[in-house]
Amino acid sequence: MRLDKSMLVFRKDFIEISRNKEVLLPMIIVPLIFAFLLPAISVIAPESVNTPGEPDMMLENMISELPEAVQAKIMSLTPTQQYIYVMLVYFFSPFFLIIPVMSSSVIAADSFAGEKERNTLEALLATPLTDAELLLGKILVSFIPGMGVTLIGFILYTATTDILTYQSFGMFIMPNVPWIVMIFVLAPAVSLLSIGVTVIISSRVKGFREAQQLSALLVVPVLALLFGQASGFLILGSRVMLVMSLILFGIDFVVFRFGLRLFQRENILAQSR
Amino acid sequence: MKSIEAFDLVKSFNGFKAVENLSFSVDEGEIFGLLGPNGAGKTTTIRMLSALIAPTGGRATIAGYDVQDDALKVREIIGILTESPSLYGRLTAMENMEFFAKAYGVTDKSERDTKIRELLDFFQLWDRRNDPVGQYSKGMKQKLAIARALVHSPEILYLDEPTSGLDPKSSKDIRDLMEALTENQHQTILLCTHRLEDAEKLCDRVLIINKGKPITIASPRDLRKRFSSGQEVQVGVSQLDSDLIAMVRGLPMVVNITVNESENRISVSLGNELDTPRLVKALVEYGAEVRYVKPLETSLEDAYLELMEEEQ
Repeated sequence: MRLDKSMLVFRKDFIEISRNKEVLLPMIIVPLIFAFLLPAISVIAPESVNTPGEPDMMLENMISELPEAVQAKIMSLTPTQQYIYVMLVYFFSPFFLIIPVMSSSVIAADSFAGEKERNTLEALLATPLTDAELLLGKILVSFIPGMGVTLIGFILYTATTDILTYQSFGMFIMPNVPWIVMIFVLAPAVSLLSIGVTVIISSRVKGFREAQQLSALLVVPVLALLFGQASGFLILGSRVMLVMSLILFGIDFVVFRFGLRLFQRENILAQSR
Repeated sequence: MKSIEAFDLVKSFNGFKAVENLSFSVDEGEIFGLLGPNGAGKTTTIRMLSALIAPTGGRATIAGYDVQDDALKVREIIGILTESPSLYGRLTAMENMEFFAKAYGVTDKSERDTKIRELLDFFQLWDRRNDPVGQYSKGMKQKLAIARALVHSPEILYLDEPTSGLDPKSSKDIRDLMEALTENQHQTILLCTHRLEDAEKLCDRVLIINKGKPITIASPRDLRKRFSSGQEVQVGVSQLDSDLIAMVRGLPMVVNITVNESENRISVSLGNELDTPRLVKALVEYGAEVRYVKPLETSLEDAYLELMEEEQ
């Protein structure tokens, strides 16, 4: 496999995506909302982020599941500070797994199913690029911008959180080790899974929207993590995330093997108009 | 040397035979036409010969390379204009050309730039090279797609409806280009078209297929001859009257006559081509002032339509 050929496909698709508002807007808007709105709401109006029901019990559950060192650290804080800390450092962290899932799947859907829809696929498949070179190029164009947006979102969230909380806490509460593990280990594993599944979906559908709608379902397991963390059932600590990442990378491998088998010129052409 | 050879090619989709036992060969430097109605199997044949889809049966070689065993090499040496232009609308013409040139292995920048400039100049697209292709007209897209197919100077070129959507001048330019490519650079062209006048003007031989099956392979001239019912000539005279028409009708070699009084013209079907001088002699001896004599030949279109009628 020639890497320069995959990079050629990557560059071509990247230029196309950068000029496609339909893909670009959700990729920019969602991280911006997460990066600015969540810390602002949590700090400025802590009561507005309370979930209906039993907020105090929920907070207590979360605190009780946190590592002992963290519990000891926040015991000396006021209830409002505790609330802000738990929300910003723990509760919202799974939101940042939605970004790579969403970005990668939107780009992957456009890159694979979008080519079918725009009738550009046949000339591309007629080139002397191998199936593996084409697939890698398209994976890279889904993975790199998706992870780039996640990283930028994380940096902005960290900066916003620290700016808004430094005066009250007298220290920088972000980032911590679990966040670093999440952004640099778990998010790539999740992103790759989302791309792999979208590739498989794209090879079976005719258009971008159909692929995007089906791949949007990938957000559901991430939301399950969010609710798991909120209820205190599963706290995304570093060790938990490393184990999850390991399992996910294994699943990624299997999914990609399956995707590569489906990524064959004849199958793809048969699905295109 | 044979550029394209197909031996009993078969392609089935879920039991439906799109192409059935297709065998033909194309010589180097030949323009070979693939003709047939919609759904005849032309695009499927081109896709098999481009190593895009695998034949269900039979085999094909392109410049000696097997389409299944040497698929990558086959794709390297062919240039293809697909049914739809297949261009990236958000990329400029220049970006489209550069992408495909690199994908086809034109790695030398100066060679690539020269070739792209030459092609975009030829198709009068150079001034619009930095515009997104999505803003191009249908004809401009078609020209750019042909330019893309030529960007790596392929040995063999597959053109699916190359003059579709083009104005008469551009169509003529494309036809001239195809002739120049085969004459000067000995490129082989497989031309798929519904425009039978294009096939008639350009093709050395044509293969007519219907419902996936080959019907005939012949040169356009031989096909015309095969379906010609004899010799037909058009004669223009200064003065056309009923006596003259009756005289012509009465001549023994005349099979049929059609009269166009407003144009002072008659179209006469004769037994054979040797009868033409006899007809002219009879007209002159009658005292008619003959302005012109034009032989009327069966066109490829007539031959094609008759073949299709026979098939049905």
